Amino acid sequence: MTEQTPEDLRYTEAHEWVRTLESGRVRVGITDHAQSQLGDVVFVELPDVGAEFAAGDALGEVESTKSVSDIYAPVGGTVVEVNTALEGTPELINSSAYGEGWLLELEPTEDGAAAVAALLDAAGYRELTAGA
Amino acid sequence: MDLISGPLDDRHLALGATMGPFGGWSMPISYPGGTVAEHTAVRAAVGVFDVSHLGKLQVSGPGAAEFVNSCLTADLARIGPGQAQYTLCCTESGGVVDDLIAYLDGPDSVLLVPNAANSAEVLALLRAAAPAGITITDRHRDLAVLAVQGPRSAELFATMFAGFGGIADLDYMAFTEAGSVRVCRTGYTGEHGYELLVPWEQAAGIWDGLLAGAASLGGVPCGLGARDTLRTEMGYPLHGQDLSPDITPVQAGSSWAVGWSKPAFWGRAALLAEKEAGPTRRLRGLRATGRGVPRAGMTVLRDGEAVGVTTSGTFSPSLKTGVALALIDTDAQVRVDDVLSVDVRGRGLEVVVAKPPFVPSHVR
Repeated sequence: MTEQTPEDLRYTEAHEWVRTLESGRVRVGITDHAQSQLGDVVFVELPDVGAEFAAGDALGEVESTKSVSDIYAPVGGTVVEVNTALEGTPELINSSAYGEGWLLELEPTEDGAAAVAALLDAAGYRELTAGA
Repeated sequence: MDLISGPLDDRHLALGATMGPFGGWSMPISYPGGTVAEHTAVRAAVGVFDVSHLGKLQVSGPGAAEFVNSCLTADLARIGPGQAQYTLCCTESGGVVDDLIAYLDGPDSVLLVPNAANSAEVLALLRAAAPAGITITDRHRDLAVLAVQGPRSAELFATMFAGFGGIADLDYMAFTEAGSVRVCRTGYTGEHGYELLVPWEQAAGIWDGLLAGAASLGGVPCGLGARDTLRTEMGYPLHGQDLSPDITPVQAGSSWAVGWSKPAFWGRAALLAEKEAGPTRRLRGLRATGRGVPRAGMTVLRDGEAVGVTTSGTFSPSLKTGVALALIDTDAQVRVDDVLSVDVRGRGLEVVVAKPPFVPSHVR
């Protein structure tokens, strides 16, 4: 069960991934490593569209049979979309952490591109989790 | 402290198990399929668990059964040789040192299976109390313990132990020997099932056979994560959470495991007094009606006022909702179907008081 860490994403030390979309928005999810550590996800608590967060703010929770983890804003911004499919099928996070299991999209506050660029790249994230 | 490895460590690693510390042992928490899939396999088909971390204490000598019966709570005189019994090891103040299974071989031999973390303490207490001629041997690393649980477990056993007629049809809590393997109709999941005591060096072969047989019946290996969700759905207490030196069997609803008419057992006076006076708190089941999962150690409230604390809590894969066991103050006069709230990290989770099991039992 090799953990996946796609090259085209950026990562946080709190085990979120970030994908910059063409619109400039960023899509956020939790990594394959994170879902594997959590085990079966049973509930996801997401913020309301329109809510604003600074980088590092707790913006939701992912709860598994074992434990609950906070989700932190990887960059500052306003929530513009949340993945409503997770309400009924939270297990999408386990089956497709980088795809259908995405959590939400943020409109970055200012200079989102620089904020995203400052996050870990795939090699950096693999290094972070190698000892885990 | 270094963790102890059981006899199936290489098997678990080859299966890709997530291992975790459990009572000083390194044990499988789950396999790559995940806890929910393992849980579902046990409810629908069959699951195979390695629970070799459980203790094994052999009590031998003239009057061994009588000695055990004068220490532990359940009345061993109510069963005969070839039967097992759930019992408790209490302190003189009525708290629970451990809950365990006693296998009665005969008047001069009883095998006790305590929890891993408490095995040494139960051993020390029994040794300190044992009269001359009674010996207690720690067989913790002589025997593996495997649990095979689920509606298709009988089918699996009928095939696997075909040479030992009738094993699959054992009565509930009865045991027998299949060669060097002891098979008992017991378990901790609420399903029809068996637990096997297997000589350490034979464990891998038996495990492989059980897994191969289970696979053809839709079964899978299961970790301690699933064991916990399964037992919580049944409302079975876990020592260290729902039973402890601070929680008596009268409070935990385990009075059925106490032989009240016995002349002696540890904690008898204190427990009789508590039973007479009525416990000040009682273990109750809580079923979440809102989204969220109650966990152990959370405050239970009614109309904003604390009425108790959760001792176990998890997501129920069968009900797809949170369930919990909680010690509720007797004074609060809480009844089944009452609506309470659990403080889940500052948010109120609405729960309904329910009488466990949360899902129907099929043990018999």
